[in-house]
Amino acid sequence: MVQIITDYGTLLLKAMGQTLILALWGLFFACILGLIFGILSVVKSKICNAISAIFVNVIRGVPMIVLAFFVFFGVPYLFNTILHIGKNIVLTGLQAGTICLALNCGAYMAEIIRGGIQAVDKGQMEASRSLGLPYWRAMQRVILPQAVKIMIPSIINQFIITLKDTSILSVIGFPELVNTAKNVQANTFKSFQTWAIVAVMYLVVITLLSQLSKAVERRLDHDREK
Amino acid sequence: MTVRSKDVKIHVSHLKKNFGKLEVLKDISTDIYEGEVVCIIGPSGSGKSTFLRCLNRLEDITAGEVVVDGYKITDKKININKVRENVGMVFQHFNLFNNLNVLKNLTLAPVDLKKASKEEAKQQAVHMLEKVGLSDKVSAYPSQLSGGQKQRVAIARALCMNPDIMLFDEPTSALDPEMVGEVLNVMKQLAADGMTMVIVTHEMGFAREVADRVIFMDGGYIVEEGTPEEVIKNPKEPRTIDFLNKVL
Repeated sequence: MVQIITDYGTLLLKAMGQTLILALWGLFFACILGLIFGILSVVKSKICNAISAIFVNVIRGVPMIVLAFFVFFGVPYLFNTILHIGKNIVLTGLQAGTICLALNCGAYMAEIIRGGIQAVDKGQMEASRSLGLPYWRAMQRVILPQAVKIMIPSIINQFIITLKDTSILSVIGFPELVNTAKNVQANTFKSFQTWAIVAVMYLVVITLLSQLSKAVERRLDHDREK
Repeated sequence: MTVRSKDVKIHVSHLKKNFGKLEVLKDISTDIYEGEVVCIIGPSGSGKSTFLRCLNRLEDITAGEVVVDGYKITDKKININKVRENVGMVFQHFNLFNNLNVLKNLTLAPVDLKKASKEEAKQQAVHMLEKVGLSDKVSAYPSQLSGGQKQRVAIARALCMNPDIMLFDEPTSALDPEMVGEVLNVMKQLAADGMTMVIVTHEMGFAREVADRVIFMDGGYIVEEGTPEEVIKNPKEPRTIDFLNKVL
């Protein structure tokens, strides 16, 4: 165990860094997608609602590993070989991984955001509108601040799931933690030790993230009491 | 009625409202005059609240004509937000903004809609809170107030827009009995100040004392209307008599 840490510790830490970079890029775009599709699902427009529902259902209905192969191999093949557009479009592991995480996590985020907005009592919107506030101002000043507070625990939960889902992207060769650990195992043959170290590394990062989420929740509650 | 010489504030003619196939308002026509206090009574499901909510178009209007403050709000092209700035509304469940303290509840709309500067809005809010007897609650959050206090803040919030008309949708129905009085007192004060008020209520005592006119609704129609004396004390229609026998 000690030998693996001394020999491969830096490598594994770097791989953890790659995991975090991938997760952060994925989450960043997932938040944007989630917000867009979440709001599309609550506005008073059947077309917008349908677009959002289709996106969520398609992404939710496809396992992430399939999505990963599709984005990394399938999409470039579509452009290069089937459609003959552009020359040799190749996605890097980071690009393909970010797209996968953004799509996958984005769909779940859209549902969390929809749920959060709908959980705010509709009287809040009626009261805002009765004062003459336009719909979007009411959303911004009254509904969303309350919705975000409801969403925070689910959003942090989704962040944690997404962080763990980066491990699936080892299948497209992105050098994140699991992929790197596979190599370490292949070099050392010490599978128990290798995977125990990897498990602890994930556990530490995710525990820190959970603590952070609790702090954020407490902070928001405190604001309200003031 | 003595107020007849004054301006018509709300003109309603042949108003109809359907929720899908359900006809809630079948044919409503009435005029409400400046400074008039109108109480709407009737059994639940009679369309009272829906009628009130049509007056600031919180409910889409299916057919008919509604003119509020000179604006024909049944016209889709009209800027309904402008009309709503002059029509305050108080809800059964208060609907104070839970994420904002009392002061911000009162200043949000005036500042956001550029009706007043931050400083003016704040002064006005403090003044309104004094009026409803809650000066000490400026920085409290809604969750820290009692029902009666919430409703008084809600009234103050509506008044901060300096409306010409106030709509009340069962303002005391969600309150503990001991808190009803404090809210009704604020409303009486408002009526004495000459505000045009339309009130959906079950408080017959209040209606008798404060209303210039009482409208009894049932099944999507106005069944009977007149002074409190006429409608509450000496009702003519069998349905009105039946309803009043049950509630009085």
